[in-house]
Amino acid sequence: MKIFLLALGAGLLLAGANGAQAYHRFWTNCNYDSPTFMTTMTRDAGQSYANAARYEGYQWGGGCWNYDDVDSYPSDAPGDPSTHGEGGDCSGLTFKTWRESTDEWRDGRYYWRALRNVHGPYTAGDFKNGVGAPNHVVAKATAGVMDAFASSSHIGMVFTRSLYGGDQIVEAKCEACGTNIFYRTYRSDPSYGGVARWGWTG
Amino acid sequence: MRRPAIRSLVGGAAGLAAGIIGGVTLTSLSTAGVGVPGSAAPGLEASHVPPVLTLPGEPAMLRYAIVCAPREDGGPCAGSGEVYVRAGHAGSYERIPLVRGDDSSEGRYFAEVPPALASSRTGFSYYAVLHDNATGASITVPAGGAAAPDRSLPLGDATQVELGSHEFSAPRRADTRVLRASWGSERGQAGLAGSRALGFAGPASFDVGADGTVTLLDQVNGRAERWARGRVETVTLAVSGGLADFAVEPDGTMDVLEPPNRLTPAPLLRSFRSDGTARWTQRLADRTWAKLAVGPEGPTVLQQPSEQWLPAAEQGTALDRGAQAARGRPGRPLANGREVVVDRVGSSELRIAELAGNAVVRSWRVTSETPLGEVQLAEPRGNELVVVLKTYTDERAEYVVLVLRQRGSAERFSVEPSEWAESAPLARFRLAGSSLYQLGSTAAGAFVDRFDLKESR
Repeated sequence: MKIFLLALGAGLLLAGANGAQAYHRFWTNCNYDSPTFMTTMTRDAGQSYANAARYEGYQWGGGCWNYDDVDSYPSDAPGDPSTHGEGGDCSGLTFKTWRESTDEWRDGRYYWRALRNVHGPYTAGDFKNGVGAPNHVVAKATAGVMDAFASSSHIGMVFTRSLYGGDQIVEAKCEACGTNIFYRTYRSDPSYGGVARWGWTG
Repeated sequence: MRRPAIRSLVGGAAGLAAGIIGGVTLTSLSTAGVGVPGSAAPGLEASHVPPVLTLPGEPAMLRYAIVCAPREDGGPCAGSGEVYVRAGHAGSYERIPLVRGDDSSEGRYFAEVPPALASSRTGFSYYAVLHDNATGASITVPAGGAAAPDRSLPLGDATQVELGSHEFSAPRRADTRVLRASWGSERGQAGLAGSRALGFAGPASFDVGADGTVTLLDQVNGRAERWARGRVETVTLAVSGGLADFAVEPDGTMDVLEPPNRLTPAPLLRSFRSDGTARWTQRLADRTWAKLAVGPEGPTVLQQPSEQWLPAAEQGTALDRGAQAARGRPGRPLANGREVVVDRVGSSELRIAELAGNAVVRSWRVTSETPLGEVQLAEPRGNELVVVLKTYTDERAEYVVLVLRQRGSAERFSVEPSEWAESAPLARFRLAGSSLYQLGSTAAGAFVDRFDLKESR
């Protein structure tokens, strides 16, 4: 019995170490499954995918979240990818919503589920410059639903336009802002360019 | 050393296994608290851009996006819906089922308003009920439904204003720089948040009183700063620090319209007394806001997806979400009981109307060869209407200030955007008396410039 109790304590300690890591790092909930190759990709499915990431937080360099409507780690240090908190960053959210490949030369449609931890190869500045086979630059005046506006430091996708000439933008803006839909005027901001994904099917 | 007995080895292994299993179970419970796979996805959302101001003969097509939880197969929502529409602004509604189209770029679900209703001399009013067929959930747009429907009004005999091709070379210099605040946290300075990598945010908004007092929302430092006659007074405000809009009511009450953030995913309006003590905090009816203004009854907010101005308080008392939604209007309310309705159409057209009740009393149609961006301000000054809108190309942008009269534009000039640090989206300009004020920023700090308008006739 004594040995059993000692071993029980050791086992709890081992499991406890793992539990501490899980508590401090949301990424232990995430997976690295292969994406699902798809033949279709509609703009409203993109709206649904990005909308579902609302409230799930922001993580610099991140791309993994669940659907519980809470940022599990809201107080991570900004700009630190090692905090491994919940949420995407701006380019990670865009990459996953646009169903892109981690290979820049592939322009197919790859569906990454929320808990699949992937950021993709692109920074906001890459998107702005149309880097990658699936991406291209568009005139800002023509940007529509699920196209995006990108600067050297940020990218947000058009959820829909609005009456006063701005846009409702779905974006992972910053650690404190989280991921949400905000009214923005990126369209007329010279630091932002228009960018879009090839291959929408409806 | 004694050789261990088999029973001891079995007991130890069992203990180790029980410990690990027990520990893992406890760990799973703790991660369940932060969310695990299989938890419920967010609810139903929608978007719709109402055709608020229409030209004669323009087809009235109502389009809606239905946004639901992501499907496992990656497809769009299995949705449906119906629009309830009527001619004019009273009486019973006619139900029209929405058609599901192949293209979602402007809203997959649509209905054409029957010409007999769309051509009504007084316009038409409508609302939609949208469904997620997978869950049975429904959402009404606008949130006020039959009580506060969307309204589409004929623009009528609008005054045409053609801006032509914008020349970016001749912005007007300000008459006076009324406020200059270097970045910092001392009195008279303004807080700067962010970084070069993530972008900077400065004072989110400001307001100007009838006596010319400028109040800067210095949310980074959790305060407002009142600038009057060369003196600065600071008032501590309990705000989140996000890019908020801001307005000062005639009695000194300060309204701070907060964006959602990591801890509070819904937008809030906070009301403070002039000394900075909190009066109340009220959640908005909708998920997104564009602009805060003070109407005759109190603060009012342009919200989405309703795309209506919803009052947030009446006579100093906050309105709950249902009461806000039930009072939605297409235009910003004015002190004289009228409203100003703004509709930025396509890439280069602006329609504006002044309403008395649900009737257009005067209207303008502004067209441009250069794309038009957001409308920062549309407010009356005497018999005139002052409008500030942005015009842009992919590389450049300037504000265009128009002073509109019944027969055209009485005054027009350009203003350079100085937007080194981010502010709230439609909080860059304020009109007070005969002057227009602009909130700007450079790498050195924030400022407010004043542009004096020509004397009103």
